Amino acid sequence: MSHNDTIPLYQSSQSDIDEIENMMSNNGFQSNPGSVLPARPPSPTRPSIPVSSSSSPFVQSNLPPLPPPSSSAAAPKVTPVPAPPPPSSGFGSAPNTLTEPVWDTVKRDLARIVSNLKLVVFPNPNREDPGKALRDWDLWGPFFFIVFLGLTLSWSASVKKSEVFAVAFALLAAGAVILTLNVLLLGGHIIFFQSLSLLGYCLFPLDVGAVICMLKDNVILKMIVVTVTLAWSSWAAYPFMSAAVNPRRKALALYPVFLMYVSVGFLIIAID
Amino acid sequence: MDPSQPPVENYANPNTCLFHVLFKGAALAFYILSALFFNSFVIIFVVTVLLAALDFWVVKNVSGRILVGLRWWNEIDDLGESVWKFESLDQESLARMNKKDSWLFWWTLYLAAAAWLILGVFSLIRFQADYLLVVGVCLSLNVANIIGFTKCKKDAKKQFQQFASQTIASRFQSTVQSAFTLV
Repeated sequence: MSHNDTIPLYQSSQSDIDEIENMMSNNGFQSNPGSVLPARPPSPTRPSIPVSSSSSPFVQSNLPPLPPPSSSAAAPKVTPVPAPPPPSSGFGSAPNTLTEPVWDTVKRDLARIVSNLKLVVFPNPNREDPGKALRDWDLWGPFFFIVFLGLTLSWSASVKKSEVFAVAFALLAAGAVILTLNVLLLGGHIIFFQSLSLLGYCLFPLDVGAVICMLKDNVILKMIVVTVTLAWSSWAAYPFMSAAVNPRRKALALYPVFLMYVSVGFLIIAID
Repeated sequence: MDPSQPPVENYANPNTCLFHVLFKGAALAFYILSALFFNSFVIIFVVTVLLAALDFWVVKNVSGRILVGLRWWNEIDDLGESVWKFESLDQESLARMNKKDSWLFWWTLYLAAAAWLILGVFSLIRFQADYLLVVGVCLSLNVANIIGFTKCKKDAKKQFQQFASQTIASRFQSTVQSAFTLV
């Protein structure tokens, strides 16, 4: 019996080490005699978040006309619904989003841009709960809108096109950052990137106004269009910014936003 | 091929590697060469920043996943706090990754950031504020990716170590228990 006492102990600890080594050299599990295999846990950092609500920092994944690289052929085709891929995928039991085809990623992010735009700029019931509305922030929409506005202004300008573009882009980008810092310094609760995203999406009406002004050169028309779109932009930005700060400081947070959009509006009117 | 030599490992995902390098190189090349062909700053700015943004997207969503099995993103939880999430393949698959692929991934990331830094220094010396803007945007995109993936890799290592030590601890426990029941 004493003989049997010591040997199993040695064997099973050795098989423990063997087993860990096997896992590390990914030979999969081998059933060593006399050892109890632990249940295989899911992969270390598998998030338990449904794919539809995953958002990504900054550039997130999104660019309107990006052709999926042919490497998508290497990844297995999964159904359009992002369900967990079958184990026959190249990565075994990997988490959802790591093995989805590229086209799925593109579609998911495009859908996110559109939904963010609708949430921010158009009337919808979620506006009353601003924190929830832009939960899935992304910066692609704002990037596209800022560049588009700069290009439109630059196109409309007859002289100094480059300066106009550079000024418009720098004004909007720096303005968004400074406005966010303003809210934070006023003791408000807002996430930096969320606010950048919001201010960028609220540029959409001004983009529309700039395109109209580019097409028609009548000053009166320009002023009307700019006023309307300016009001629309401010209306879009109002609930989010005001909810973020102390009620007594609402005006302090909102006034600079309004000021920035007014200056962009002047830029649109003044360009000829 | 000499049978005594181990087979040279080729890139496992040549297409992905190509795209990983393509947009980075295109952005840098366009920026450097455009001064020869285009007079307009607007075109240089828009095309370079667009290529850099495309590169950011490709690295973050495609080549990060396929070449090194890592992914990172940011979420806002129900309390309104921003949370950085990291996702990685399990350790088996990570170990199975092609070494050449991951070498290429990390080195081109660092080299591109270094190149933009040097270009930024040049434009600083020449007092060209608008080109500095372009370089600044591209550099920040590259650096964001570097930081994101580095954090993700560290997180994956930590997770694996935790998992391994947990496993060793639980195995040790079960061994000790079984030893005591045998006695």
